[in-house]
Amino acid sequence: MSDALAIRDLHVQFHTRRGVYKALNGVDLGLRRGEVLGIAGESGCGKTTMGLAVMSLLPRNASIPRGQVIFDNKDLVNLPREYAERVGDRFKPKEHERILRRVGKALARIRGRRISMVFQEPMTSLNPVLSIGFQVAETVYVHDPALLARRVLARSKTTPQIMREVLTLLGATQGGEAALRKFAADHDLVGLEEQVLFVWRREDVHISRKEKAIRSLAGQSMKPWERKIIETVAKSGSIPPQFARVPVLSKLVRRILLKEGSRKARELLTSLGIHHAERVVKMFPHELSGGMRQRVVIAIALANNPEIVIMDEPTSAVDVTVQAQILELVKQIRTSVSASFIVISHDLAVLAEVSDRIAIMYAGRIVEVAPTAEILHHPLHPYTQMLISAIPTLEGKSVEGIKGEVPDMRAPPGGCAFHPRCPFAFEKCNSVVPIDFRQGDDQLVACWLYEGK
Amino acid sequence: MMIAAYGLSKFFPVRGAFRATTSLKAVDDVGLKIQNEQVVGLVGESGSGKSTVGRCLIRLLNPTDGEVLFDVPDSELAEYEKARAAGATERVDAIADRFSLLRRSTSELRAVRRLVNIVFQDPYSSLNPRMKLSTIIGEPMISTRFCTRAEADIRARELLGEVGLPEFFEDRYPHELSGGQRQRVAIARAISTNPKLLILDEPTSALDVSVQAQILNLLRGLREKYGMSMLLITHNIAVVAYLAEYVYVMYAGKIMEWGAKGKVLRDPQHPYTKALMSSVPVIGETRTRSILRGDPPNLISPPLACRFHPRCPVAFEVCGWSPEEVAEDLEFLVGGKYYGTFGDGVRLTVEGDRTIIIQGTTEVQKIQELVDLEKEDVRSLKSIQAIDVADGATSVRLHEAIEPEMYPSPDGREVKCLLFRLDASAPAAMAPRSAG
Ligand SMILES: Nc1ncnc2c1ncn2[C@@H]1O[C@H](COP(=O)(O)OP(=O)(O)OP(=O)(O)O)[C@@H](O)[C@H]1O
Ligand SMILES: Nc1ncnc2c1ncn2[C@@H]1O[C@H](COP(=O)(O)OP(=O)(O)O)[C@@H](O)[C@H]1O
Ligand code: SF4
Ligand code: SF4
Ligand SMILES: [Mg+2]
Ligand SMILES: [Mg+2]
Repeated sequence: MSDALAIRDLHVQFHTRRGVYKALNGVDLGLRRGEVLGIAGESGCGKTTMGLAVMSLLPRNASIPRGQVIFDNKDLVNLPREYAERVGDRFKPKEHERILRRVGKALARIRGRRISMVFQEPMTSLNPVLSIGFQVAETVYVHDPALLARRVLARSKTTPQIMREVLTLLGATQGGEAALRKFAADHDLVGLEEQVLFVWRREDVHISRKEKAIRSLAGQSMKPWERKIIETVAKSGSIPPQFARVPVLSKLVRRILLKEGSRKARELLTSLGIHHAERVVKMFPHELSGGMRQRVVIAIALANNPEIVIMDEPTSAVDVTVQAQILELVKQIRTSVSASFIVISHDLAVLAEVSDRIAIMYAGRIVEVAPTAEILHHPLHPYTQMLISAIPTLEGKSVEGIKGEVPDMRAPPGGCAFHPRCPFAFEKCNSVVPIDFRQGDDQLVACWLYEGK
Repeated sequence: MMIAAYGLSKFFPVRGAFRATTSLKAVDDVGLKIQNEQVVGLVGESGSGKSTVGRCLIRLLNPTDGEVLFDVPDSELAEYEKARAAGATERVDAIADRFSLLRRSTSELRAVRRLVNIVFQDPYSSLNPRMKLSTIIGEPMISTRFCTRAEADIRARELLGEVGLPEFFEDRYPHELSGGQRQRVAIARAISTNPKLLILDEPTSALDVSVQAQILNLLRGLREKYGMSMLLITHNIAVVAYLAEYVYVMYAGKIMEWGAKGKVLRDPQHPYTKALMSSVPVIGETRTRSILRGDPPNLISPPLACRFHPRCPVAFEVCGWSPEEVAEDLEFLVGGKYYGTFGDGVRLTVEGDRTIIIQGTTEVQKIQELVDLEKEDVRSLKSIQAIDVADGATSVRLHEAIEPEMYPSPDGREVKCLLFRLDASAPAAMAPRSAG
């Protein structure tokens, strides 16, 4: 099976007044389907930059001189360029702009919906003046209004009789998801099943209360013309232009769907272990503790059932007891969500907890990637080895620093960027960039020591 | 004894609701001692009050309450403690007058400033950007009249070597240095006056592990060479494991446990220390963890009695449950999991500081059943002492809370947990060490 995401020879530069920072210098990395891939490395080595490049969210002073990010057979980096080339000599400014806009939209559809990211500083990705519920709702509304439309419609079409059948079905299949999904599809009620299952799966609620809650899902009231608009949204995935031009109508659609989004927000937060979600959705970011905030940010990243989730330092802003909660949450999410994950952290021990494989980054390149146990117990790259022996343990074993400094990324060392600090460096290292050497079953190491081994 | 603090508290005034001023109890009744030549670690999560303790100890902040004795002979200290326990105010005052840092005048403090110094977490903001490194390092020597300007310059150069930087760095400015180099400069400055006590407030938290390792080894070397005492403040337990001999564990403004490093870190006794230690991710170890619920509390209205009780997995009857906490948990159960038993229409209200009134049901038996079934998971329910019916409503009465103190444990450590309270009047459930 092909990788969920493939990064090939990716270069990123930041242009500043103080010079050009070469943040990524040829990253090669594949994210396998369903795996959690950890990225470790010291501050400034390019971890966040890589995440932003995948998201097509690099700041304006960044450029991508070379490289590809392949997702779903599309090269996200070169999408705009390819379109431009296709226009070729038929170039007409007006048409060009239209195409670029279309490319922009195509990227936007992928970013946030199919690939989403939890940013390093949770506070910066939340809007301080909007309630939590609104922010989650808005995310879903912007990226997937059809989902919200289907949910409302399904409730409006459901009768008490249908709900009785649903309850019987749940009882008979013991909450069987597949059966319920089929039932919803057969009855043209897609969007109902996730709402029903959410209630059914709650563990802190008595069965009679759940049944009552499920019954009360039926019979959402809706005016016929409202229904008509919402139906078009459910089908087309966007508000049809003839409505979008009428402010009253587009506002109405927005209101209905955001309200539904806020229902969805409560479900999401509850499923991420937040108690009293009804209360939390009404709060503002500053009212939340660090751990809650992190959960909310994760909820937003998961809101649209993305295929790839990038988490940048998900636990660096929280304390160790809360970190333990978040790591547990990440482990739970990966079993309940069918996505592939990239988890970025400067703390190898954190990655060791959640990752299937770990990639080590140094000066804008991946220097080693291997299954977690392999990299921790048999690190091959000199940098990985030294990094691990610098980590203090609870037993107080002696630690060894790495001599020298991280390189100035305006003029990174030629050859292997680690050579000025590497005790094993030899002539070749100073001039030739090492290629990846495969070792063992599944270990890749970019170091000349392994040439021909 | 290098330094000994008793009942140290620091309350910060903050603006509460309706413009009333309330206080944030950042440090509350903390005791801490550092022997000569000893390295003591102070660990805790962010906001637990570690930095505030460090600053109060050397009077960078004036504590709200408490006493700090500095460089006091052990015999006098023993006498002070005896007098303090006996409430012999005169004797206490007589000793404190001679050794208390809090009673020193500004000019007397200058002499003390030579003997104690501090290194801060952030190497980017703790150094004056407009000063050359030689000036930065020499500054404490001059302000405490440790030596003359010219001598300070010579010594600054020596100190650069001492912390592993080349001498030609003396003419550089902080912005030309990396984080690790800046922290070396901060350390050079802090040891410039040959202090007897060095306070290190998160000395490596802003650094990468490869640089952290260098700084840890530098500190270890300096300690061996000069034999100074150190207070190592950090949230990183492995850092404490590397350098300290004794450890204090702080939570929400209070010391929860202290003792020899090996004991506290390897065999923690306090429920918080246990959870803390099991939360630390360790490479190559997959452990069963005890994961705490919730987050650390706010310190403006901290939890009653034991500040850890809302998160404590073994909290029991007298740990400090308020009727609000109990009512919230009861309400959640009655309206959720036990909805089938109680249905709609049950309302809970808090009355006074130990009673909850339940309207809409008088089924004492069923409430008691719920409590008995759930109290191992929902610990607040343990605090329910009696459930009675009066005037068509049910009243739930709570146990009276007990404020935990530092209880000595046989192996020399002290633990602030009621499970360690050897008191005949305690309920049978509270035998020491049943914390599991
Ligand atoms: N907007 C920007 N303008 C200029 N340089 C930048 C910008 N963003 C990042 N850089 C530089 O690019 C390099 C990589 O930065 P990046 O943020 O990806 O590192 P990181 O590995 O995420 O580090 P950390 O662990 O500190 O988060 C660094 O040298 C950084 O200074
Ligand atoms: N100058 C101050 N004014 C008001 N509150 C403060 C001040 N300094 C610290 N605090 C508060 O005191 C508590 C303890 O802070 P601190 O000692 O810095 O904790 P730590 O060092 O353990 O992270 C925190 O809640 C913090 O916000
Ligand atoms: S390629 Fe050479 S310099 Fe780079 S890590 Fe390997 S041995 Fe060291
Ligand atoms: S006193 Fe001990 S048992 Fe009670 S809450 Fe505090 S730590 Fe837990
Ligand atoms: Mg980053
Ligand atoms: Mg601090």
